[in-house]
Amino acid sequence: MATAVAAIARPIQFEQASLWSDAWRRLRRNRLALVATIYLAVLVAVALVSTVWTPYRMSAIGVTQTYAPPSAAHLLGADELGRDILSRLMVGAQVSIVVGVGTQVLVLIVGVPIGLLAGYYKGWLDSVISFVINVFYGIPDILVAMILVFLLGPSLRNIIISIVVTRWMDMARLVRGQALSLREREFVEAGRAAGARPVKMLFGHILPNALGPIIVQATFGIPAAILFEAFLSFLGVGVQPPTPSWGSMANEGVASIQYAPHMVIAPSIALSLTLMAFNFLGDGLRDALDPRTRR
Amino acid sequence: MLTKGTLVYIGQRLVLIAFTVVAVSSVVFLGIHRLPGDALMSERLRGSAYQALLHHYGLDRPLLVQYWDYIVGVVTRGDLGESLVNRGLHITPLVLRELGVSAEVGGLALIFTIGLGLTLGIFAALRQNTWLDYLLTTTSVVGYSMPNFVIAAFLILIFGVWLDNVTGGNFYYQLGGWRGDIGQLWLPAFALGFPYASIVARLTRASMLEVIRQDYIRTARAKGLTEFLITVRHALRNALIPVITILGPLVIGIITGSVVIENFFGIPGLGKEFAQSILNRDYAIVIGVFTMYAALVGLANLVVDLAYVVIDPRIRY
Amino acid sequence: MTPASLRFLKAMCVAAAGSMVLAACGNNPTTSTNLAADQTLKFPILGDFGTLDPAQLNAETDSEIAQNVFNGLVKFDNNLNIVPDIASAMPTVSADGLTYTFKLRQDVTFSNGDKVTSADVLYSWNRAAAEQGAYATNLAAIDGYAKVSANTVNGGAALEALLEKKDPSVILSGLSAPDPSTVAVKLSGPAGWFLSAIALEATTAMIVDQKVVKTDFDNWWTKPETAIGTGAYKISSYVPKTSIDFAAVDNWWGSPKPTLKKVHIDILGNAHSAINAYEQGSYDLYGYGGYSNAPVDDILRIQGTANEKSQLLLHPKVRTTWVAFNLVHDAKRPAAGPFLCPPQTKAMEDTCSTPAGAAAKNLRLAFALAVDKTKLATVVCHDIVCAPATGGLITKGLIGYAGDNTDPLAKFDAAQAMSLLKQGDPDGSKTKGLTYTYDPNNPLNASVAQFLQDQWQTNLGIHVDLQPVDHSAFIHGYLAGKYVLNRQGWQADYNHPQDWVDNLWGSITGCPDANCGGGYDTKAYDDAIAAADALPLEQAIPKYQAIMKTLEDDAIYIPLYYSQGAFLIKPYVKGAGTNNFFDYYWNQIQILSH
Repeated sequence: MATAVAAIARPIQFEQASLWSDAWRRLRRNRLALVATIYLAVLVAVALVSTVWTPYRMSAIGVTQTYAPPSAAHLLGADELGRDILSRLMVGAQVSIVVGVGTQVLVLIVGVPIGLLAGYYKGWLDSVISFVINVFYGIPDILVAMILVFLLGPSLRNIIISIVVTRWMDMARLVRGQALSLREREFVEAGRAAGARPVKMLFGHILPNALGPIIVQATFGIPAAILFEAFLSFLGVGVQPPTPSWGSMANEGVASIQYAPHMVIAPSIALSLTLMAFNFLGDGLRDALDPRTRR
Repeated sequence: MLTKGTLVYIGQRLVLIAFTVVAVSSVVFLGIHRLPGDALMSERLRGSAYQALLHHYGLDRPLLVQYWDYIVGVVTRGDLGESLVNRGLHITPLVLRELGVSAEVGGLALIFTIGLGLTLGIFAALRQNTWLDYLLTTTSVVGYSMPNFVIAAFLILIFGVWLDNVTGGNFYYQLGGWRGDIGQLWLPAFALGFPYASIVARLTRASMLEVIRQDYIRTARAKGLTEFLITVRHALRNALIPVITILGPLVIGIITGSVVIENFFGIPGLGKEFAQSILNRDYAIVIGVFTMYAALVGLANLVVDLAYVVIDPRIRY
Repeated sequence: MTPASLRFLKAMCVAAAGSMVLAACGNNPTTSTNLAADQTLKFPILGDFGTLDPAQLNAETDSEIAQNVFNGLVKFDNNLNIVPDIASAMPTVSADGLTYTFKLRQDVTFSNGDKVTSADVLYSWNRAAAEQGAYATNLAAIDGYAKVSANTVNGGAALEALLEKKDPSVILSGLSAPDPSTVAVKLSGPAGWFLSAIALEATTAMIVDQKVVKTDFDNWWTKPETAIGTGAYKISSYVPKTSIDFAAVDNWWGSPKPTLKKVHIDILGNAHSAINAYEQGSYDLYGYGGYSNAPVDDILRIQGTANEKSQLLLHPKVRTTWVAFNLVHDAKRPAAGPFLCPPQTKAMEDTCSTPAGAAAKNLRLAFALAVDKTKLATVVCHDIVCAPATGGLITKGLIGYAGDNTDPLAKFDAAQAMSLLKQGDPDGSKTKGLTYTYDPNNPLNASVAQFLQDQWQTNLGIHVDLQPVDHSAFIHGYLAGKYVLNRQGWQADYNHPQDWVDNLWGSITGCPDANCGGGYDTKAYDDAIAAADALPLEQAIPKYQAIMKTLEDDAIYIPLYYSQGAFLIKPYVKGAGTNNFFDYYWNQIQILSH
């Protein structure tokens, strides 16, 4: 009896289900996304470790027989100059992460404000911005990127710039769409009626509500950027030696595919797993953050 | 279908395309001339000989004069100029010929993309949550997560090296007039199209699932094959719309992917030409190919938008 | 033939009485019954040729193809001896060595039937000199060249008009044609290298037909109907950047008469695909057309494949690669660096080995001795595509080669290098922020660059940045004196040291300010090469060797390697091959039945 009374007496706790905790709960249940997150955490850890230590110095030439297949001393074998592939793979992770994250940070900085302005203010500003976005869409990105990298010189910084220049429109268009639909909602009306200043409106009200899709877009943008850099490296305009990038390692590996297939397999798998992980994570985030989808 | 509104729309779009092409071409033209180094320089070329070459190509004139001549040439005669590396080689016929080659490979890739993508997507949707569904879904994520040259490399490893089959190790492209041998084209087309087939598969699956529910399908199937097929056709019709939506970016994706794949397989198309010309610093060809691409992309987008009208009669321009 | 059938055949020969069997017993069955019915040679090249106009061409592919289409008065045979070609005999030389008189054969015709006369020779040489293409300097020894090379009309219908008018600004005054089959050449000064220069296959001294050149002065060579030469082959069809076909010229005047009826060349762009296609039987040769730098891993693989190993032909090529130091810094050479020779006075004395230049020289020596050239050849080239350059910059096998292991700069001595470094840069400040610049177009260059960086890091503790610059910009750059440390290389055109010393250093080539790698130029050098160039080759050799020794003593370079070319030749292809300079002519090749 006492327990029953105690049970009744205790106030019923309703979980405060905010969008974020709800999303987090759903994300946690998505096994693929979870595995992907773990993989990415390991990847970041490996990249961090590689800044201070790798099994062999990544540019040390001739530490073993050239084209050596995987062995106990060299888990992934050696490349055409006798360098340890595992060490280079680890350092290559740095490049991929910097490219992936760096481009998306810049895309956010460039694309979000532009999208907000276009979607919120509409009118002539929107027309101009939309026109510019459409023009950029009309140009094949790799071609522009190649030309840009050639103009500026191949370096990690310039590659990031080229990727941002050719892909900022995705974010801008998304944010514009979000702003367009959000501006009609009541809380925005209320805010405007209360006399809130535009900056506060944009960044205080609209942006937080658009954050979900923005995060998803950025998450999908990372593998796209990494893939882009791999393409550029494969074509020979990526990061320059001796800095290894998975794309250029794959390029060197492909050249020797018949003689030393291990050279192409390692960076290819690394690339594919990383891209897959980001894609699965993005899927998971999208499912978790979008209240409409059901499982 | 071909209403006055549609014609006006087409007209507007063509104007926009022309404007974009000229604008893009101009930007590239003016930008590229600032690049250090050029194709004409060689270890043995001294003073006056180098100047002689510059003069032959008109590169010693002020930039704006060159630009004006170029634009006039393109618009009136369709003349994209002469190659800087291969003297006497006129760019317009070269680019048109290579366009045919690229279109062949790209077209094959596109057919493959849509065909395989739709098929996989449909099966995954019809067999939702079965092992087949999971297999197909995972395969498609792998598909668009791998760079196309990696796919190509593995295909070559499997078919060319280990099985020594199909391509017979011949992964190069032998030009037979305008018709390439399918036996040699399928591998590059596959590598080019597979990432996009994966995306199409996912889209198809998702949109088909929105339209049909499992019990509806079960009922339809129970009622008989005809009923089932009608249901599927109806679902497919609606599923095509998002696919058409991404058709524009898809074509652009195939075009950019072809730059890598053509280089990989040595296919003498526009993509290979572009990459080679940039590496050779043959700016004349780079500008020419770029202009061609800009026009191509604009036209592709226009065709896609018009395809909407066919698929969905509700859409009018 | 398999060993078994060969033994059988030998047994048959021993027991044979019939002459038919005896014929088959010969070691070299070259009777017509052994030739394949389809005499078409197919091989791939990796990049289209730039031009086939002898007055303009300057790339290896251009010349390997054009050598079969055009001829000159003399040529190099397979053993690199100069022999008569269109000329009926070697020229008679006047006592003072200034006048060469050539008599032409009477039977030489262009592929369109036009007879070749001395007027054609004069036209071709005047045109080439006036156009000032990359190899116009082959004719530089001829009297009047200085004036013609200064003319400003370098092409097009305008130049053709001047040539027809015999305008003095485009006519070499030293050339004359006393009769239709005699050409007399007067040189401006004795030049022992003159014959070598005009024997250079497929370049400026080759003879073209004025009648067809007139029809399209700049582009006559692009169309089969007007690409007319005196060679055994002519273009029958050309799809730019895709393929080129050649057909044998009927009743060709030269010898050996061509056996191959057709030559088909595909332009593939990818070396691995090309080699794969060769292995699958689509091609008869690989490496011809100037693309003999095959990827190392393919060579290793083929060496490990039993039935292909014997098809591989490795042959030294006349190319040396080295590292150049920037030696001069002035208004026209922006790069400085710690390797500079002290500034010269107007008298252009050699300051590189003086006490004032000791610190810089020690640094140059330190950097040179810190590089293990043997390891480079092993790791980077797998001892296949290159060999360490131990005998000076002139490639091994060429006249002027100093001998194995004679170049002190080719040694590897890490301890000595360290001590020299301490002497040259005690506090380490001068060797900070160095950059090695290279052009990555040849994949070997990138590997070598990384190797050098690793060596200087490991053996000297100095970090050198790598800067890849695309080939054409790279050439601009090092000729303009922009780089402190850069790759440099030279591929010899003909077997004469003049080709090296006149074109790489000294004021003839434009040093120290422009058109020169490193900037090396001293009066002693200029005088020495002028003296050597004037002498006949045999007397000049010791002089040239002394010049190369001066470069070694001044330590102005780090020698790296001599290149090797790799060729794949199917067993049924007879007569194909290469010497150090060029691939054997197509009219020597036959396809046996297979």
